[in-house]
Amino acid sequence: MFIHYLDLSWRSLRRTPLISALMIAAIAVGIGITMTSLSVYHMMSMDPIPHKSDRLFHVQLNTMDEGRTWTTEDNLPYQLTYTDAMNLYNADFPERKTMSMRTGFSVHMNSSEVKPFLEGARATGREFFAMFDLDFVHGASWTENQQINASPVVVINQELNERLFGGENSVGRQIYLDDESYEIIGIVKNWEIHTKYYDLNNGAFNRMEKIFVPFSLVVSKELSSWGNTNGWKFEDVRTFQDHLQSEQFWIQFWAELDTPEEQQIYSDYLRTYLSEQATKGRFERETVQFALRNVNQWLEYNNVVTEDNRVLVGLSFMFLTVCLANILGLMLGKFLRRAPEVGVRRALGASKRQIFAQHLVEVSVLGLLGGLFGIGIAQLGLWGVRQTYSYYSALATMDTYMLLAAPAIAIGACVIAGLYPAWLVCRTTPAIYLKTQ
Amino acid sequence: MLKMKNINKVYQTEKVQTHALRDFSLDVEEGEFIAVTGPSGSGKTTFLNIAGMLEPFTKGQYLLDDVDVGTLSDNQRADLRNQKIGFIFQGFNLIPDLNLYENVEVPLRYRGIKSAERKRRIENCLEKVGLASRAKHLPQQLSGGQQQRVAIARALAGEPRFLLADEPTGNLDSLMARQVMELLEDINREGATIIMVTHDAELARRAPRNIQVVDGQLADFTLYQSRPSGVVTPANVAVEA
Repeated sequence: MFIHYLDLSWRSLRRTPLISALMIAAIAVGIGITMTSLSVYHMMSMDPIPHKSDRLFHVQLNTMDEGRTWTTEDNLPYQLTYTDAMNLYNADFPERKTMSMRTGFSVHMNSSEVKPFLEGARATGREFFAMFDLDFVHGASWTENQQINASPVVVINQELNERLFGGENSVGRQIYLDDESYEIIGIVKNWEIHTKYYDLNNGAFNRMEKIFVPFSLVVSKELSSWGNTNGWKFEDVRTFQDHLQSEQFWIQFWAELDTPEEQQIYSDYLRTYLSEQATKGRFERETVQFALRNVNQWLEYNNVVTEDNRVLVGLSFMFLTVCLANILGLMLGKFLRRAPEVGVRRALGASKRQIFAQHLVEVSVLGLLGGLFGIGIAQLGLWGVRQTYSYYSALATMDTYMLLAAPAIAIGACVIAGLYPAWLVCRTTPAIYLKTQ
Repeated sequence: MLKMKNINKVYQTEKVQTHALRDFSLDVEEGEFIAVTGPSGSGKTTFLNIAGMLEPFTKGQYLLDDVDVGTLSDNQRADLRNQKIGFIFQGFNLIPDLNLYENVEVPLRYRGIKSAERKRRIENCLEKVGLASRAKHLPQQLSGGQQQRVAIARALAGEPRFLLADEPTGNLDSLMARQVMELLEDINREGATIIMVTHDAELARRAPRNIQVVDGQLADFTLYQSRPSGVVTPANVAVEA
């Protein structure tokens, strides 16, 4: 019967092409606008590393004097000092942990073939790749020795490898970062995440780095931070060594804690650590304050999805509602004009339920067509968003989930809008129309 | 087979109460061919609609094959209507964008009959009304008489025990009216019970049993023992046999 209803729906659409086109256009515009904002929202809010987002924890320590405040809701600085980052990294527990910092270089090949260009880079621990699921195409991360010795080694991503070496296996080759030669020891796949959750300092949706170097190079090469450096008290910082020993916050720190027990052990460790640091006189505080936030808590804490985004999604759904109100009116007119035919069908044995189902299938077909055209309009809208600001280039796209959601939302919305007209027409008293047709 | 006892039908508006049927009682036996006559507005169509379960009655009892129609839900009435009753309307009421085959198919689909069986029945019925070769035509490509024959084929496709016809020849010229009437008589001869509302006295006289409705009541009841020459009815078929 469903196939028959589909056939009747198709005939009905063809019988009134103008009104059908109007309805489909109204749904398409409504869905297009809604899916544009919803897609951006979806990309912003989606879990960037779903299989382990509850096991990766960002560490925050309060190493300020009692009474000092910060811009966060709980007065905890976002980043750590170099001293704390190194102490936590050198601790025995947990096994996987890493500090990281955004820096950058002028990249060239010491030849006339490649024009030098500026490129952001990440200075980090060798565990970074395994913790954040960066897969190697060739080579591997630097060794512990290379890390300790601050060896001039580098991991680049496929995109940069394509640009510099035409995509061939470049492990063992050299590139120049600023004026130093570095050996390429690994090539990782391009990182396909939409939110730069591991470092939200320069914007949550900026592009991921293409160059990774050992964090020990920060000290040996005195690499400057391309992120934020914040202080909470006056310090006379004149040299890089002063910077390293200062109480300024400029390093992100992540720990992988697989079980609640590990989280508890690490919390206890941090509590003890902070007490020790206070005892050493680095800061004056009686209350120990720190936070371990998993990936999603960290995104929430940083308001990655702002209230504005939610309002925008709400407004676009309201626009869809207005479109549906128009469709409801058109459906009402179309269905009621068909009441005589419904009367005949009822006389020939159709139950109210069958008439109701027939009309709901018809509105679903309208919804499906509107949803498909709506995807086209949404693609146009997302293209427009991408053109306005490259910041949104990774966000303003529709993933498979959204591509499937568009017709589903359109069908659902049309069914809701079509319930009343379908209910009204299925209540048709057949006798009224049979004599007058 | 069909028993109506003290059926009342009242149409209620804000200010006016209209009694379309008053204490209307009727027994119809299987295989009868009944013509219902009466002046306009007398309640003939209301009676037919109630008999066909197209509208509810206000008071009384209606038994169809011993089933108390008044106790049935709307969906149960739709099922019963689909299985036991065929309709023929004055205005044919064919669905314009379905071809003849599809029009005849409508009641069969609602009954859930399988495709092969539907095909068999539709082809038989269209054959019976002489329109098998035009199965793919749309209703507007046919004359009025042909359209009514399609409507009859549609009514027959469900193999109903009751055929309710409301002015089946009202929109036809006399020649076509006679052909349609002959078709109905054939159908009746094959066993279907027919109740036909008509204004045409000549057609009414061809039915073995006439009832007259006046002011919503059964006014007269005539069983024709003598029939016009040349007209075949179940009674004289039996005699001739």
